[in-house]
Amino acid sequence: MDAELYLDYNTVIHRLDARTKILLFVYVFMVLVLFENPLWMLPIATLVVLHTALARSWRNLWRIRALLAILTVWSLILWNFFASGETHLFWIFDEQSLLFGVARTMLLLLMITSGVNLISTTRNEELVLGMIRLGLPYRVGFAISTALRLVPTTAASLQTIAQAQRSRGLDLDGGNILERMRKYVPLLIPVFITTIRSTNVFGMALESKGFGAREDRTFYLQLHITTLDRILLIGGGVFVLVSIYLKLRGYGDIPGLSRF
Amino acid sequence: MTEPTIAVTDLSYRYRGEKHSALDSITLTMNRGEFLVVMGASEAGKSTLAACMNGLIPHFHKGRFKGDVVVLGRNTREHKVAEMAEVVGLVFQDFEAQLFSTNVELEVAFGPENFAVAREEIERRIDESLAYVGLTEFRHRSPSTLSGGQKQKLAIASVLAMHPQVLVMDEPTTDLDPISKLGIFEITNQLRKRDDITLIVVEHETEEVLQADRVALIREGKLVKIGDVRSILQEVELLESLGIMPLGIPRFFKAMGYQELPLTPDEGVQAFTQAGWRIDETAHQTLVAEDQAAIDALTEPIIQCHGLEHTYPNGVKALQGIDMDILAGDMVAIVGQNGSGKTTLAKHFNALLFPTAGEVQVHGQPTKEQGVFKIGQKIGYVFQNPDHQIFSDTVFDEVAFSPRLRKLPEEEVKKRVTEALAAVGLAGMEAEDPFSLTKSGRQRVAVASVLAAQPEVLILDEPTTGLDYAEQRGLMDMVRQLNQNGSTIIFVTHHMWVVAEYAQKMYVIKDGKVFLQGSTREVFSHEQKLLEASLRPPHFVQFANRLGKTFLTPEEMKHCLHTGA
Repeated sequence: MDAELYLDYNTVIHRLDARTKILLFVYVFMVLVLFENPLWMLPIATLVVLHTALARSWRNLWRIRALLAILTVWSLILWNFFASGETHLFWIFDEQSLLFGVARTMLLLLMITSGVNLISTTRNEELVLGMIRLGLPYRVGFAISTALRLVPTTAASLQTIAQAQRSRGLDLDGGNILERMRKYVPLLIPVFITTIRSTNVFGMALESKGFGAREDRTFYLQLHITTLDRILLIGGGVFVLVSIYLKLRGYGDIPGLSRF
Repeated sequence: MTEPTIAVTDLSYRYRGEKHSALDSITLTMNRGEFLVVMGASEAGKSTLAACMNGLIPHFHKGRFKGDVVVLGRNTREHKVAEMAEVVGLVFQDFEAQLFSTNVELEVAFGPENFAVAREEIERRIDESLAYVGLTEFRHRSPSTLSGGQKQKLAIASVLAMHPQVLVMDEPTTDLDPISKLGIFEITNQLRKRDDITLIVVEHETEEVLQADRVALIREGKLVKIGDVRSILQEVELLESLGIMPLGIPRFFKAMGYQELPLTPDEGVQAFTQAGWRIDETAHQTLVAEDQAAIDALTEPIIQCHGLEHTYPNGVKALQGIDMDILAGDMVAIVGQNGSGKTTLAKHFNALLFPTAGEVQVHGQPTKEQGVFKIGQKIGYVFQNPDHQIFSDTVFDEVAFSPRLRKLPEEEVKKRVTEALAAVGLAGMEAEDPFSLTKSGRQRVAVASVLAAQPEVLILDEPTTGLDYAEQRGLMDMVRQLNQNGSTIIFVTHHMWVVAEYAQKMYVIKDGKVFLQGSTREVFSHEQKLLEASLRPPHFVQFANRLGKTFLTPEEMKHCLHTGA
């Protein structure tokens, strides 16, 4: 099954240095948490969408469309419980709380999109190397990349297991929530067992290839900062600083909103 | 005398929590450049021995370790696995789990990187290792896009890049089709000729070990016999008693009363000619006629494919127009190279997949209109890996899963479980924990859990993979029994000897099309065409083919022989 998260294209984003991609991802986070007002989030939203378009990573977003849809609906509703405003609309909804809900939903979706952009355009090894060059210890970087690696392999074995159990008569649709949850037991146990078994082999293979044999280690992969990387890093940095400045000056809030 | 490369002295090992020792007082030495094959039944301790060579035991696995393993002067007690890795390379059976990089060259670079080899040197080693295993053109591909055989070659290359002086391979060919197996053994043969690499290979496949210098046979953790390859392979009875497949050709000559047994098809033909034996034309024709009569006796179609095509969502066209009828009572083998489309085809039979063009009918009705839940009652599907379906605490619950889902009364469920367990040879095991059984035991539970739904057709995907010879025979004898009791059997496999001895009909799939079909005897007579589909009959059938008539087993041939006078 084709479950890899990395999309093997050669776009301008793919060619960026891993460090640039990681830092841009961090920049997006920093800017997103600043503003309460969705209008003020539009500039960063535009940039993230542009990033996605250039990276051609919408394919991965499309794969998780169901998750995104559920998050959107829940988030649009739930935030109204945690905020209120002066202009009451109906039930729990106030104009201000609704706006705030929209902003928080945008925050959630844009963070996910940025994350997807990062892993769709950066090879696992580049990501590790990028994190190490940014100061993370090798073992920590490697652990993060291993966790990411587990996603596609687990998804693939889940698919096979679902087929095996459906062949035996398991009907995954239908029934109420409790029944449905019980139906997942025959899927989850084999997934755990096979994942544990293959992780065991993985661990042995790692050690057998000398993982952690000595303190120093070479990296075959090389990262190169180009002019474009510099422009993006500086441009992005300026964008973050301006955003923080505006926030400190009191822009970007929703007047009349009270949060609990 | 120089110091041996590998010195194993009085090695015993017991895994934590186990009652029996996995290895029991093994002593063994190997000199530089030697090639040793380790054979034995499942759970005999072969993989445990392999894991002792680079210190995974005692460092990675915990347990009681006695004795010493010294490789090139390094005692595994005192050196961590990562330190041993500099001199001992280890290749695992599971080629999916041992590869973890996103492209081929990075996979190869990983080992040398850990030993802080200079970048230019790593570059050179990538070139060298990939060329050695024939993967140069795949350098920038993702390992997940490679075939099974290529993945295992990559695993070997990634270990060779560390320039080990000892290379240990633990059943490297288990999941591979015959030609991919051969590809791995060609690499082994190349390595054997080098005197700077000492080679240990754990292997099930007897035909592939002929190039070894010595063979070690182990049973229940003990070294039963070690000797040069020719003398060991002549011990037909000893091998069989250890759960190892004896070669067909010595088996035949042994049955003919020979003492000095030929091993290869070449030697077989020579000995046959020298003996002046002749094949009885009429007796052979009777065999062919019997094949045909058995096939003609079946007329009622259950599964019918018309112009079946399947294109996966990613655009890969796995099946390109298959026409095939499965008849009630059939015992059919579906064979083909890794990735030829055979599993995709089998998944259409029980409606796990639907055709993207053409049609599949079960009992005259398109599968699309019936769905997997309904068809599952008539057509059972046993997946390759039993661990992909077992989840219950007891064997009983596991086997009862399907009948209970179909809301049968508990009385009936109980009856069916008892019958299904009896059919797979697990009667009385109801209360056991399925996870505590061996691979072959779990495979049987998986078959029983499908049988309990009482399907008319049973599909088995690679039922014998990962089992030893005795277990393979046991399982296939059971499947044949089911067929004789009226079940229709379809099995997908890489094991050609299983096809030769058990299938009545076979379909060869190549590039998503039916490439050859007919009675097993008929298909195996086309050796050249099979080669085009990356398949190869077992040694014994090759030997018979060279004598001009296709025989599937030594017993058949013996029956049709004029022995002079």
